[in-house]
Amino acid sequence: MVGVAGMNMLVAAHSGPDLPTVDDFLPPEILFQGTPFAINRIILIRIVATLIMLLVLGITAMRVKLIPGRWQAAIEWLLDFVRDNIVYQVMGKLRGQRYIPMITTIFLTILVFNLCGIIPGMNMAATATITMPLVFALWCLCQYWIAGIREKGLGRFLKDELFPKGVPIPIYILLTPIQLLELLIIRPVSLTIRLFANMLSGHIMVALCLAATQWFMIDTANKLWIPVGAMTFVAGFAMTLFEAFVAALQAFIFAILTTAYINMSYPESD
Amino acid sequence: MNSVAATNGILLFLPKTFDIVWSLIILAIVAAFFYKFFLPKFQAVFDERASKIEGGIENAKKAQQQADEARRKYDDQLSTARVEASKIRDDARAEASHIIADARARADAEASQITASAQRSIDSQHKQALVKLRGEVGTLAAALAGKILGSKLQDDAVQSQMVDGLLDELSDDRQ
Repeated sequence: MVGVAGMNMLVAAHSGPDLPTVDDFLPPEILFQGTPFAINRIILIRIVATLIMLLVLGITAMRVKLIPGRWQAAIEWLLDFVRDNIVYQVMGKLRGQRYIPMITTIFLTILVFNLCGIIPGMNMAATATITMPLVFALWCLCQYWIAGIREKGLGRFLKDELFPKGVPIPIYILLTPIQLLELLIIRPVSLTIRLFANMLSGHIMVALCLAATQWFMIDTANKLWIPVGAMTFVAGFAMTLFEAFVAALQAFIFAILTTAYINMSYPESD
Repeated sequence: MNSVAATNGILLFLPKTFDIVWSLIILAIVAAFFYKFFLPKFQAVFDERASKIEGGIENAKKAQQQADEARRKYDDQLSTARVEASKIRDDARAEASHIIADARARADAEASQITASAQRSIDSQHKQALVKLRGEVGTLAAALAGKILGSKLQDDAVQSQMVDGLLDELSDDRQ
């Protein structure tokens, strides 16, 4: 597993553009190789992003004032957005109160990690390995099982989930396994893959455009290719902006689906 | 390149041990940060702000209430004052007409008294004059008679005419 190190464009001696590959997402271990604490490029990005986020938000929280400044107002807007537009919107105030910290954690962390994909020098979302989204998804899984068992008891929770009301009994033969699969695997895996694949494809698209730009504008001897390079640069620029949008959108989707899954575990008539 | 990508593709979906470790560590740290520090701090400020705003609204309500009360009191006072003023005005008017009537009555009484006393003094003077005149008429008549008798009594006709005239006058006076 030799890392191509994604956007390393200093090497111009290739016979073609330095196109991104899946190896970008399987970089070599650079610290503590071979141990359970091995660190590769993406994990380093993740650690750095975490530290920066904790530092910035920590300082904001320490200096939090009754009358907010611009920065605090922006952070408060984000918190209000998570609370009102995600949690309360889906669950209502009564149930939602309990899950605000969780959803806020998920939303802000995924947002920051996703944005690493377009931060120069990082150029890789910290959520761009399968594990990080999976961990968030498993947290979600635990929470909706816990909510179901707490609110209804295990028996009734499983009965409601696996044998939905108003369905002819023979259909259960088909439906119940699907529901079980949904409850145990499909929900977390769909959350995981949706986020991971978005980050993966986003990185590949941006890297593809910029690698082509590098190739057509600088590496190729033939200057006739420069207009094509300009076009790929514009495309890369647009993709970068699109990635910023996708970063926020995927964080929002992850957070709102987590909320919705937890909400489904609650009794219907409440 | 293609064959490498194909072999690696499935690896993307297989979590590595160190990745799991780091993801869990980071999730735990981030969650602890948000649960224990970040959100409570902000929640405290949100709560304080809400209570401040509620307190402000409460204060405003109280001030409004006080203002309303003061206004009502003021209005009440104003209306009682108005009623009192009109009462005083009516009283004053009544008293004034009373005073005027009194004054008029007194003036009338005085005037009639003055008139009466004037009448009385005129009467008494008239009487006095009459009495005085009567006394003097006698004397005067006697003197006149003496004078007339002295100069013209030779003529009998004149004499008798004069006496008659005198007697007539006297009798007229007496009546």
